[in-house]
Amino acid sequence: MLQEVTGDQRPTTRLGRWRDALTDGPAFPLLMIVPPLLVLGLVIGVPLFKAVLLSFDRVILTRPQLAGQFTFYNYAKLLSDPSVWAAVWRTGLYMLGTVVGSIALGLSAALLTRRIVRWRGLARTIFILPWSMPALVAALVWGVMYDANFGVLNRILALLPFEIGRVEWLLNPNTVLPALIVAQVWNEFPVAYIFFLAGLQAIPEELYEAARVDGANGYQQFWHITLPQIRYVMAVIVVLLAIFGLRAFPIIHLLTQGRTETLTVKTFNAAFRQFDFSYASSIGILAVAVSLVLVLIYLRLTLRQDGSAI
Amino acid sequence: MTLGAGILAMLRGAALVVLVVITLFPIYWMLVSAFTPTGFSRQITGFLPPEITLRNFTLLITERPMLRWLWNSVLVASLASFLSMMVGMFCGYALSRLKFRGSYLILVIVLASQMIPSTSILVPMYALFRDLGLLDTIQGVVLGHISLVLPLAIWMSKGFFDSIPPDLEGAARIDGCSRLSALWHVAIPLAAPGMVAIFVYGFVTSWHDYVFPKHFVTTQDLWTAAAGITSFRGEYFTLFEPQLAAALIFALPVVILFFVLQRRIVSGSLAGGVK
Repeated sequence: MLQEVTGDQRPTTRLGRWRDALTDGPAFPLLMIVPPLLVLGLVIGVPLFKAVLLSFDRVILTRPQLAGQFTFYNYAKLLSDPSVWAAVWRTGLYMLGTVVGSIALGLSAALLTRRIVRWRGLARTIFILPWSMPALVAALVWGVMYDANFGVLNRILALLPFEIGRVEWLLNPNTVLPALIVAQVWNEFPVAYIFFLAGLQAIPEELYEAARVDGANGYQQFWHITLPQIRYVMAVIVVLLAIFGLRAFPIIHLLTQGRTETLTVKTFNAAFRQFDFSYASSIGILAVAVSLVLVLIYLRLTLRQDGSAI
Repeated sequence: MTLGAGILAMLRGAALVVLVVITLFPIYWMLVSAFTPTGFSRQITGFLPPEITLRNFTLLITERPMLRWLWNSVLVASLASFLSMMVGMFCGYALSRLKFRGSYLILVIVLASQMIPSTSILVPMYALFRDLGLLDTIQGVVLGHISLVLPLAIWMSKGFFDSIPPDLEGAARIDGCSRLSALWHVAIPLAAPGMVAIFVYGFVTSWHDYVFPKHFVTTQDLWTAAAGITSFRGEYFTLFEPQLAAALIFALPVVILFFVLQRRIVSGSLAGGVK
């Protein structure tokens, strides 16, 4: 009924037809897609494009006479700059450390709490708590704990039976990277915990029952049932945490005032310490390129070709 | 056998306790430091504050514009998150419901823009804003934060629309609704709990970021709380205790929100409409 009525009321003016095409017809996807993409282009596309332009120029705030040229100077400098390669190496170590650490803590917490019945909610709340802390707050708290002279960490370690002595956690070049990784792992391991808990709950209990009937001990059950069953979750979480590690900035920047240069910190320092926005942009683009590789791996794992998430 | 099982259970219990202590200790230490008299955290010898004081918190209001910073944070986070949600919703709907060429590419672009390091955006954006006169303004910070929040809003709203059966919109279309009004009057109200979750996520992302406000804005009165908290270096040394008191105030609303909405954020999208 209704349809017939609306059918008779098809607009005849050109404007009306346009409006109909947009709100109800073939152009409807355009109405939905174009405005958001314009905004996304404005806040991300334009800055990225500007970064490309800057990286082929020499915009240095302290030497304005150099600006306005087209040059490969920054990329040549990038390739031959040992501090950039040191930053790449450091970023790799940081990613490795945070991925391994977060998975170890997150998986342990998930394995230890998966079957408890009492206090299940409380356990979950506790292990998610660090994730609700902003990275900047995590950095401040760990900074206070790491302090060599009155930090609580050195006092806790002094309780150990063997002597370690007073460690300048954030100043000693041998301990600064592990110290940063520990702070980051504390902050982000709940992500791994949540993923693993969901993955473990999806394993059918019958598998374990069958294994017990066959006489498999806990260790064998873990290796032959649990690990193979969660390997997909594991792959996703490895890539996700690697992306987090690459993006990491607040904890490193705040705890070492930018002395520990990963790719993100190096990008920042080049721009806001040396005021060389062109060189900073070229490092930033290198970081974007690395992140794109990780994103493509992540997509291969999580998205089917029709765009639906698994 | 039973003895071995008992030892194993004890080991598991001990491991769990160790994990819980590692997880909670930094939060405990933040509380201890925040309530220790200013300058006295250096003299703590045990694991308890020497005396408990609220002076660090009153100091934030008398010595620093903490209330002003918090208000700026509310303003920036609400604006960035609301705008991103409004815009992202449509894109998420299109990606979920409409089949069109290039939708996979758009998904890739959206996810990639969420995952690229924000410092790579910060640097060219600073250069752009310097030319456009947007440095040292709240609007500039909001724009910067939209770049952090919008991809997430698109991604999440796609997920929420995916979880709503399309039948109800089909019914509305048979009743004579256009596609736009079916979206507006049927799909969006159904996705409302999801929209709340998106708003909260966006709000929290913006609330937590100090990098954009700290470096785009030089006027201290325009800083957000996140930017303000990172600037507690006194003339001679960092004022740890008031800084951690500020961090506590700053983190608390989000922690509370997080736990109130925990279930809703995870599974809220089907509440209401269809069950």
